[in-house]
Amino acid sequence: MARFFGVFLLLVACGAAAQEKLAIGIVTSLSGPMAAPGKFQMNGFRLAEEEINSAGGFSVGGKKYLVELKVYDTRANPAEGASAMQRLATVDKVPVVLGELHSGVAAAEAPVAQDYSIPLVLTIPTGPNLTEQGNRFLFRVNANNDQLTQALAEFIAGQAWTPLAFIAWNNDAGRGGVNGMKKLLGEARIGYVGYFNVGEVDFSSHVSNIRAGNARAVMLLMDEEPGSLAIKQIRDAGLKTQLVGTLAMGSDRFLKRLDAQRLEGMVQYNAFPPNAKVPGIRVFSERYRKKYGEEAHGFAAQSYDGLKLTVAALQKAGKIDGRALRDALAAIEYDGVIGHIKFDAKGQAHPPVYVTQWCSDGKRRILYPETLKADCGAG
Amino acid sequence: MLSAVLEQTLNGLMAGSVYVLVALGMVLIYGVMHVLNFAHGVLLMVGAYVCHFFFVRLTGSYPLSILLSAAVLALLGIALERAVFRPLQGNLRNQVIASLGLILVFENLVIALWGPNALQMKVAATAALVPLGEMRFSVQHLLVIAVTLAVVLVLFSFLKFSKFGTAIRATSQDRMAAMVVGIPVERVDWITFGLGTALAALGGALIGPLFIVFPQMGDAPMVKGLAGILLGGMGSVPGAVIGGFIIGIAESVSTVFLPTDYRDSVAFIVMVLILLVWPRGIFGVSVRGED
Amino acid sequence: MARIVLGIFLVLLSLMPAMAEKQPYLLHVLILCFLYAIPAVGLNLMLGYAGLVSLGHMAFAGVGAYTAAVLMVDGHWDFWLALLAGVLAAGVAGAAIGAICLRFRTHFFMIVTLAFGLMLYSVMNNWDEVTRGAAGFPGIPRPAPLGGFSFGPLPNFYYLALAAALAAFAVQWIVVRSDFGRVLAALRQDERLAQAKGVNTMLYKAAVFALGSAIAGLGGVLHVSFLRVAAPATFNLAESINAVLIVIVGGAGSLAGPALGALVFVGLPEYLRAAAEWRLVVFGVILVLIVLFAPQGLAGFVKRARA
Repeated sequence: MARFFGVFLLLVACGAAAQEKLAIGIVTSLSGPMAAPGKFQMNGFRLAEEEINSAGGFSVGGKKYLVELKVYDTRANPAEGASAMQRLATVDKVPVVLGELHSGVAAAEAPVAQDYSIPLVLTIPTGPNLTEQGNRFLFRVNANNDQLTQALAEFIAGQAWTPLAFIAWNNDAGRGGVNGMKKLLGEARIGYVGYFNVGEVDFSSHVSNIRAGNARAVMLLMDEEPGSLAIKQIRDAGLKTQLVGTLAMGSDRFLKRLDAQRLEGMVQYNAFPPNAKVPGIRVFSERYRKKYGEEAHGFAAQSYDGLKLTVAALQKAGKIDGRALRDALAAIEYDGVIGHIKFDAKGQAHPPVYVTQWCSDGKRRILYPETLKADCGAG
Repeated sequence: MLSAVLEQTLNGLMAGSVYVLVALGMVLIYGVMHVLNFAHGVLLMVGAYVCHFFFVRLTGSYPLSILLSAAVLALLGIALERAVFRPLQGNLRNQVIASLGLILVFENLVIALWGPNALQMKVAATAALVPLGEMRFSVQHLLVIAVTLAVVLVLFSFLKFSKFGTAIRATSQDRMAAMVVGIPVERVDWITFGLGTALAALGGALIGPLFIVFPQMGDAPMVKGLAGILLGGMGSVPGAVIGGFIIGIAESVSTVFLPTDYRDSVAFIVMVLILLVWPRGIFGVSVRGED
Repeated sequence: MARIVLGIFLVLLSLMPAMAEKQPYLLHVLILCFLYAIPAVGLNLMLGYAGLVSLGHMAFAGVGAYTAAVLMVDGHWDFWLALLAGVLAAGVAGAAIGAICLRFRTHFFMIVTLAFGLMLYSVMNNWDEVTRGAAGFPGIPRPAPLGGFSFGPLPNFYYLALAAALAAFAVQWIVVRSDFGRVLAALRQDERLAQAKGVNTMLYKAAVFALGSAIAGLGGVLHVSFLRVAAPATFNLAESINAVLIVIVGGAGSLAGPALGALVFVGLPEYLRAAAEWRLVVFGVILVLIVLFAPQGLAGFVKRARA
């Protein structure tokens, strides 16, 4: 029986293989300093690809296609990004490119996309000025730094967390976050700011300065790997300070790196609370866990939505053409895992930003936005 | 203010011990062969992965895994000396280039084999915290310092008192003369290189549990360690110790007074200033072939 | 013979846009080769002819690039004036920092230049108000049209990059053949002897450091104008190391070295793009093999093959 079923699957697969494939460009970091978050990005894209293809593909203008991802490594290097973009546009002749992690690299890719009139759909870079360059072919699914900090600042404004100290990556994400918070909360509420380079793991000098400055809260602007180290070092040093984190820190995987006791009370903004009682999130989280054996990551969710909504826009466009797809993307309204996505005139989407908090039992509650407030276990 | 500086000095000593540990293997290899091996940082990283592999997948014993990792890396180092560095002997420039090529090879090999995500290496026995005033340090961190000091002592007396150590020093001082008096300089070379990479593995195996094991873990300590051995005096073991600690302390103390995004720059400015006063580093001696 | 080969090569290069009309990707990669070759020419003068191995070279390209970027975007300067200012700024920075670095030799010189490279990188990354910080400085224009010739389209920018690269190679050729170049060669071979003969060695070395940095600045300005963004990552330690590798693999102290090196360094990884995850491993192995079996670089290899 099992063998029969296997043969059957094989036949189905062969039938599917005969279908025409549509190459979609992906730019990401497979190597270099951003390789780890790049992996989450690729997980999201691969999951979406698999789902689309196992459902028989999609049809554009009456013709059925399967998705084929054409993946290039840009290594957090602007010149490599521009080259990859050029190659995707002119050699692979893809109608659209998705991905990227680094704002500086995205800024080199975006003008090339414009040159060849193919949309570039960003799913992770947060530099706010990317979508301020008047590039009609640039779209961003994820919330940018200003949007993320806006949500968190609104939440923090109501708390007595002054001075607010920082430990932040000295890169586009970390610096953008600190500058955004300074702007929104006012310099007066900001305490010690400790920057560190990507790849540094010893935060002891920052921890000492945070203790000496009597910070009421510490915001950690970084990914989950340094984040877990920073929290370990802060708590091990005996600091009871309120912790504030990023979207990388509201997950079970993060909990596994630490423990409930060290995390209790910490709040973080989140593009995607994996356990929220939102149907899309539930389904995605389960599928992700099935495929990768771990809890879904916000970067994966954003990238998954990016590919899904791009395919939806291709169907709407009715033909395989960059300009038509651009117009379809500009008009599309899509309900994704990370929420309702609609691009504004600058190509920036406005997905909801959540603030979640760790409970004492290692679960999370949703504190913000008010309308989605939910207790432990839902975040 | 004073207590803040004292506290940061202590942090700097802790951070510096990591730099010193990284620098020791480089100093040994440089002292004997005049090879500045930029790949030392990635060899440290490979050592950490190998140790992690033995510890988590095979043996479950941390000390045994350290030894195995050091052995594996020593073999790798000997192979590298044979295949890459010996043919390039005397060509400082091309040795540096080859070591940069090796960085690409090993860093990306590890990413291809293990993936880019960091691994955790929890050693229960050394996870406990020891209070020191208002601060606390893990047993692992104290272990790093203890091992660093032990390695310094062993290395120092080995070079000073053992027969082979004398051969190493002789080769380091004058290769030609060493050959003339019958010292097997080629054997000295490969043994030194194996020893140096074994020290890199030791570094990786000790730093791994302190933080995390990831493909770039050797990069920053290597650059800082390099600055340390330079200002300490190239090829001098005590110089590497003092240099590593100076860099660590300068970085930490600077965060009290200066914007932290210029922390790296502070460490390097200190290095340049010290070199302007002592052009060969604090313990530097004029080395043959350097002028 | 060599002149005929060079002539044919130049004609081929200048006909490239017409021949590769349907392959903009090829043009793009060639432009990047030129833009990497230009700073490499500057470094070749320092490293190949004067024996100065700088590990912070691309930071000076960054000084030029950011100077021009700020002048063009915030100061509304014309591209050509900004280019000139960028080249000058890089040269001045090279003279000033070179004066400190040149007090050191061999490994010490290498690590001190590395240190200054990292410091300059920190300024580009941290000075948000001026350089736009780590997220990059977007919206840098391509050059304004010159006599009705617009540099926006790829084939046209190709000619600009080619012309700039040729100019850099011409400077290299002139310097190497001049008295100045001969003194540098003498310095590299025996500095004490040169000193004994009354040569102010420090002055010569500082001059070549400044010249090399200015040429790097030219490459930097064109680089950010081509990518239309300046990002600190373009001028970091890895890129400086890349520049050294380009020079050495191409053949340090050889006129054609930087061109060959840039071809290998920009062309090969792009070609290996298909190998995705393993390409950097392969690339590293190839690099070690070149150093082992062609120690004078590719230029030396070619020369030996012909002899």
